[in-house]
Amino acid sequence: MEISKKGISKVIVHVILLTLALITVVPFLYVILISFGKNVIDTSALFVREFTLENYARLFGDTYFLNWILNSLLLATATMFVAVIIVSISVYCFSRLRFRGKNQLFRALLIIQIFPLSLSMVSIFRIFVSLGLLNRLEGLILVNSAFASAGLVILAKGYFDSIPFSLDEAAMIDGANKLQILFRITLPLAKPIVAVVAMQSFVIAYNEYVIASTVMARDLQAMPLAVGLQSMIVGQFGVNWSLYCAGAVLGSIPMIVLFYTLQRYFVGGLSAISEKG
Amino acid sequence: MAFIRAFLIILVIAIGLTAVAAIDVENSSDERIVRIWFSHIEQENQAMRTIAEEFTAQTGIAVEVISRRSIFDAPRDFANNAELPERPDLVFMQAPDIGNLVRSGFLSPLDLDNDTRSRFVNAAFDAFTYKGELYGVGYSVDTSGLVYNSDLITMDELPRTWDEFFQTAEKLTIRDGDGRIVQRGTLLNPKDMWFNYPIIKEFGGYYFGQLRCGTYNSYDVGLDNEGMLEYVNKMKELQAKGLTLTNPNATESHISAEFAKGRVAMILYGLWDASIYQSMGVNYAIAKLPKGRDGRISQPLATVQGFVINRFTRDFDASLAFLLFILQDEHQQFLIEAGNRGLAKTGERNPANISVIQSPYIRDDPVLSSLSEIGSFCSPFPNIPEGPIWYNYTTTAFRTIFFGDRHGREVDAQEMLGELADAIRNDVALINQIPDQAAFSWSDYVILTALIAVIAFLAIRAARGRKASATEYFGGRLSKRESLLGWILLFPLFFLVITFYVFPVFHNIYLSLTNYSGIRLRDYVFVGTANYREIFTKGIDGLVSMFVWTVSFAISVVSLSFLAGTALATILEKVGIRESKIYRVVFILPWVVPSVITLLTWRGFLDENGLVNQLLAFVGVPSVSWLSNPLAARVSTILVMTWFSFPYFMVVASGILKSIPKDYYDVAKIAGASRAWLFFRITLPMVYRAIFPMLIMAFIMQFNQFGVYLLTEGGPPADKLGAPGATDLLITYVFNTAFNTKRYSMAAAYSVIIFCFVGLLAFVSMASSTRKVNELR
Repeated sequence: MEISKKGISKVIVHVILLTLALITVVPFLYVILISFGKNVIDTSALFVREFTLENYARLFGDTYFLNWILNSLLLATATMFVAVIIVSISVYCFSRLRFRGKNQLFRALLIIQIFPLSLSMVSIFRIFVSLGLLNRLEGLILVNSAFASAGLVILAKGYFDSIPFSLDEAAMIDGANKLQILFRITLPLAKPIVAVVAMQSFVIAYNEYVIASTVMARDLQAMPLAVGLQSMIVGQFGVNWSLYCAGAVLGSIPMIVLFYTLQRYFVGGLSAISEKG
Repeated sequence: MAFIRAFLIILVIAIGLTAVAAIDVENSSDERIVRIWFSHIEQENQAMRTIAEEFTAQTGIAVEVISRRSIFDAPRDFANNAELPERPDLVFMQAPDIGNLVRSGFLSPLDLDNDTRSRFVNAAFDAFTYKGELYGVGYSVDTSGLVYNSDLITMDELPRTWDEFFQTAEKLTIRDGDGRIVQRGTLLNPKDMWFNYPIIKEFGGYYFGQLRCGTYNSYDVGLDNEGMLEYVNKMKELQAKGLTLTNPNATESHISAEFAKGRVAMILYGLWDASIYQSMGVNYAIAKLPKGRDGRISQPLATVQGFVINRFTRDFDASLAFLLFILQDEHQQFLIEAGNRGLAKTGERNPANISVIQSPYIRDDPVLSSLSEIGSFCSPFPNIPEGPIWYNYTTTAFRTIFFGDRHGREVDAQEMLGELADAIRNDVALINQIPDQAAFSWSDYVILTALIAVIAFLAIRAARGRKASATEYFGGRLSKRESLLGWILLFPLFFLVITFYVFPVFHNIYLSLTNYSGIRLRDYVFVGTANYREIFTKGIDGLVSMFVWTVSFAISVVSLSFLAGTALATILEKVGIRESKIYRVVFILPWVVPSVITLLTWRGFLDENGLVNQLLAFVGVPSVSWLSNPLAARVSTILVMTWFSFPYFMVVASGILKSIPKDYYDVAKIAGASRAWLFFRITLPMVYRAIFPMLIMAFIMQFNQFGVYLLTEGGPPADKLGAPGATDLLITYVFNTAFNTKRYSMAAAYSVIIFCFVGLLAFVSMASSTRKVNELR
């Protein structure tokens, strides 16, 4: 009896998951469909009659897709590393160190992000000019790291707080200093959230469009992918959706691969902490 | 120690970047150089480079040709870069964009001899003339005409007058036995004003009246006169005959798609989709528009694209010399051929140069030649700063007239037209009433005091809680060493945050106190609190309901995604590792795929006869107007936005689940707790506690959400033109309103106010839940 009950609940779980997966995947399948479609003018109706690889070929032949995706990979990877380093260190401070002004700083960090900056591109542009970062990937790396770190510190703090302090105390008694504690104990335990931070900072930098399109005003080849792709659809009439979708499909692959590899940090049995603690 | 080293490296890189940037100023030499921002078509850029080499060989002036991603970014990027070391001298842009740039003082007036003028069609100069002064020369004329399918209608049968056009259209419309239309004589978009403008003019309506000298009088809006009413009646007649789009959400692309399927004989359109008609086997051609009743030529609206000279050019003479060099007939020929991708003859560039128009390349191609013929008789879109105002209102106004208001009720066309014209006139007035100097009144002091009070309150609240911090963790007093370490370790984060958050915020506050706007992009001055005064005295129609909607939208999306994400993460723990990995990859798709395309896909799915309604019909449920009914639109907006944000919560929750000690569950299980109990009493609260600050962040992000606009465009619209629609969020609405009149300082003022507002909200929620979280501990 026990086994069949388990079997039934397993079936139910899979039915639920499959339904949800279908809802999630249908719009994406549709994008893939358009990307293989010939002559798609219209995104709202099923207008794909003939299938072709032409769109993908054009991506590499007629556009700088390869340059764009390489730029974006560089940009996103660099941002990811900077953000992971900054976030782990800063969250450690916020969560484990005791110093004057800590809580105020943390609140200020949250409050400042309320400002709807995405529309103050002039101000961001001024910063880029005065730092000489215009038209440079370094500038985008810095600004994306800033946005990613500021947001992700807030996310990661809760997780760091939930790692028992008793571990730190035990290590301290063993004579470890603060940094040893961070690298030997806290960070290994915080792997799941560090993986999330890595993933999210990569996605932020990879998909960021507004700033990049404002501060990268020079060569077409030097654009990140998000800007390059967008340049295919800003026309008033006669947008080539197939080409855009082909770019969107290929462009998503790096993020999916990254996610798949990072997954092992937050999949698997429950509670690594209680085992070690 | 390794860590300190890493930190030092970051510091050095940061300082180094700044230093390198400081050194990297203009390398001043005697070499004369002209920099030109040109096309998005690489072939055309190459042609320009060849011409440039020739120019350099002749004059010794170097030319740098820079490829651009799109001509639509040109005005913004040009205004940003016009005075920087890397500034362009010549810029390729659309004539309608020059008004703001001229008013802001970015463009050099040009003085061209009659020989040059005689070699181009009039539109090349008319389009770039602002208040009697010439600022550029047209190169390509982007316009539309009568695109027809020659299998359905021959050239000789083409209508010569608009009356004939309507008759022919009706005659060519074929219905099958059931009365369904299988072929249309024409298909018009009743919401459109661009392609239909020649018909509107034929009936006597007009956008901006022109003085005899050609200058526009922007207060003269002829969209509520008798003729306009006649036009509406004519369109309604065509609508009854099935010659217009039937779906209120459909756009020009539907018309083009129908034409590509060979089901429409004549459409008013350009050749942007020509390559698609070609490969679909449609024998398309383009002809001049029918003539008016008294033999008057109907001119389609056109966007002329051409070259302007930066007023801050390093070398005006060299720039002008190169411009004249480009304008030579043989170079125009070379460029136009490259722009049309050589033998492909795509029609992307429609020459303004007369010699090119008469060249075999154009003349021998029926499509290109008729397109160029149309180009010589087009009417350039007004290039005044007020030009783009109509876009904000016409679609909604005509939609209401032809498809009824949001409750599906028919409206009085005359009233609506009056409202449309008034809305445009109001915006024209707003553009022209930007204050020139600071004028303080008592109300300024009230507003300033109120703002300072709010900011001070936020600061004081932020500063409190110090007592809690000292005792929060394992007791003891604050050590100086630890404080120092803390501040040093936090330096990189705060360096970045101050640079890219704090400075822009203060700069934005400053901008909100100036008259920075489309016509004052450069020489804006401090004008005090005029913007705030306007916001607080004028107010917004329907502000309260929009605010309530925005807050409930943000809360619903965040809580739904939190619930869904956590539940999913929990369920995924129950299946095998391999399956769960695959499921997760599927579930993160909404998070990683560019949202522009998925939003538009959803928009298509939720359409009147989109996938969702087709599925509902399949199971026998009557269809729902997902995007046209106010309530349904709000529900769909919330659900679609949840679809976008649940994956992130799922991933975060997956991580957090690992930190929940297993003993909690074991104890509860022994006590006989059900699974639901475990989820709601252990998992959910634990995850909630761990990500609470992130929930606040998520709320803020949803509050400042712009994606909704792509999904619904804020619609269905309100009863009053220009008032917030059912799904307009606070931020999209106020920014649209401010940007429509290009009053950027107004937008800045709005962002300051929203900042204060959401800041207060965040505080209230933080204060109330810090207490709760502390209770949980």
